[in-house]
Amino acid sequence: MATKVKFIIKRFDPELHKDPYWQGYTLDVEDGMTVLEALLKISTTEDPTLTFRRSCRSAICGSCAMTINGYPRLACNTQVIEEFRRKGEVVIEPLKNYTVLKDLMVDMTPFWNKMERITPYLVPSKEPEDGWKITKEDEKKIDRAQRCIMCGSCNSVCNTQAVDQHFTGPSALAKAWRFVGDVREKEKRERLLRLSSEHGMWDCTRCIHCTEYCPKGVEPLEAIERLREKALTEGIDDNPGARHVMALVDSVRRVGRLDEAAMTFKTLGFLRSIGMIPFGLKMEIHGKMPHPILFPVIEDIEEVRKIYKKVTEEEED
Amino acid sequence: MAQLKYAYYPGCASQAITKEADITTRKVAELLGIELVDMPAANCCGAGLLKDYNLELHLTLNARIFSQAERMGLDILTICSTCFMTMNTARKELAENPELFDKVNRTLRETTGNEYSAKVRVKHLLWVLRDDYGFERLKKEIKSPLTQLSIAPFYGCHILRPSEALGFEDPRDPSSLESLIEVVGARAVDYEGRTLCCGFQADLVNPDTAIRMTARRLEEAKRVGADCLLTPCPFCHINLDSYQEMAEKKLEARFSLPVFHLAQVVGLALGLQPEEVGLHRHLVSAEEILR
Repeated sequence: MATKVKFIIKRFDPELHKDPYWQGYTLDVEDGMTVLEALLKISTTEDPTLTFRRSCRSAICGSCAMTINGYPRLACNTQVIEEFRRKGEVVIEPLKNYTVLKDLMVDMTPFWNKMERITPYLVPSKEPEDGWKITKEDEKKIDRAQRCIMCGSCNSVCNTQAVDQHFTGPSALAKAWRFVGDVREKEKRERLLRLSSEHGMWDCTRCIHCTEYCPKGVEPLEAIERLREKALTEGIDDNPGARHVMALVDSVRRVGRLDEAAMTFKTLGFLRSIGMIPFGLKMEIHGKMPHPILFPVIEDIEEVRKIYKKVTEEEED
Repeated sequence: MAQLKYAYYPGCASQAITKEADITTRKVAELLGIELVDMPAANCCGAGLLKDYNLELHLTLNARIFSQAERMGLDILTICSTCFMTMNTARKELAENPELFDKVNRTLRETTGNEYSAKVRVKHLLWVLRDDYGFERLKKEIKSPLTQLSIAPFYGCHILRPSEALGFEDPRDPSSLESLIEVVGARAVDYEGRTLCCGFQADLVNPDTAIRMTARRLEEAKRVGADCLLTPCPFCHINLDSYQEMAEKKLEARFSLPVFHLAQVVGLALGLQPEEVGLHRHLVSAEEILR
């Protein structure tokens, strides 16, 4: 039996309108109908001016990503009835964090520019004479990252990108890991150095939107974590992000926990820490400054130190 | 009903900067008859940063915390969203990776003499209040309902995502904080930023990015007429409260939005006084809105 479903779509044509506006359509929806099928029906039977990108209808091409009931989805693999049950209506908007060209179609140029910036292809090192030996483990490391269909969903909900349009962004960072993590890649170090610069991988605030809403399970945050680990292994640590992590690593080894005052000092360095003094004094007045010397050490700290030693030494072997 | 009892893991922030969250949680637990057993040998979960350094080290140190709770025969209760997320994602990674699980346990046996058997569960205070204690039961204990307050619930990130590892509630439509606000007699206001990021993890790495995020969250709450915020995470509290003045400067705006820890709102409604829940430790005063 068909269900009457209200679709509320954000419309905008910059040549005709000053601001976007909402338009409602009601359709009889059968079980199994996707949001893309609903949009096609609206555009063929009700309003041919409704603009949106689509192609494969199989969640492979990445064209039809849009904001559906608040979050990015591929219209072609989103069931209308599920969304209707969740919200009582289906609200469709273009992807956020992008400039709208018309209706649900956004300008993907910044997305491609970011992708281009990370050199999105393998720079192969010389193949060994008996050929490459690629283990299952090698493949597994980058398997998720290579599932990306470049739909742009992750960038649309990235909290860092929302306040810094120059941020490399989760999609390009996941792609970067796909090559840094590839055993055949020649320029791993050069890539990691570039990714460690401003607006790079250390600017991610770990909001986990990218991993949560990627329609293909790419897990960009995990790719970012592995890029950071690799950079630190390579000794690329002369930047605030790397110093911040190393300060925590050091603090946990020393006292078993996170010593915020020491982390501030180590991350910012002496000169920039001085700038934090007025703020520190205010925190002190409210009893919020952790004492730098009397910071309590956890019981059995030796166990923690032994774990550090064992794990990090084994890796050097 | 059997008494609720947990291995208590307040997290590093609430043992120092946001000590008021720890102090209040202990008082609230006592009032509700929830027993909290300290874990004096527990280490920092690494807040995700340890994972950036060395995945195996991160998992082993988290397994060390888990093994301690298992020896106590208790589930872990934390009052920090980031600890909650870090520990639960570590549990998931260990569960999905038998080889790493064995390796981590080998290291743990050699260095501590103990093992992690994947039995322990890690719960946030919000989860314990909703599911274990029960909001209905909590409602009966309310002595001073906070009827005058319009509270903006701030979930932030780590109590919701990644949902596959946390299994707490749908990160797109969470409602537990709104329900809690109703239980304590206040009004919840709906706003765009409730599930977005406070910026904390960029505070020292890229302060400009961090403060911009903090400012946006405060601005969103202010716009819908909230007179305060409520957060289940001490790190969010640091940014929303301690960095509020910097956020005001960034946007050239005035927010004056007090920020409550989860336990403080419950504590006040249970009849604790503002100084008992440590409100004097906040940088943005709540005096006016509680008058």
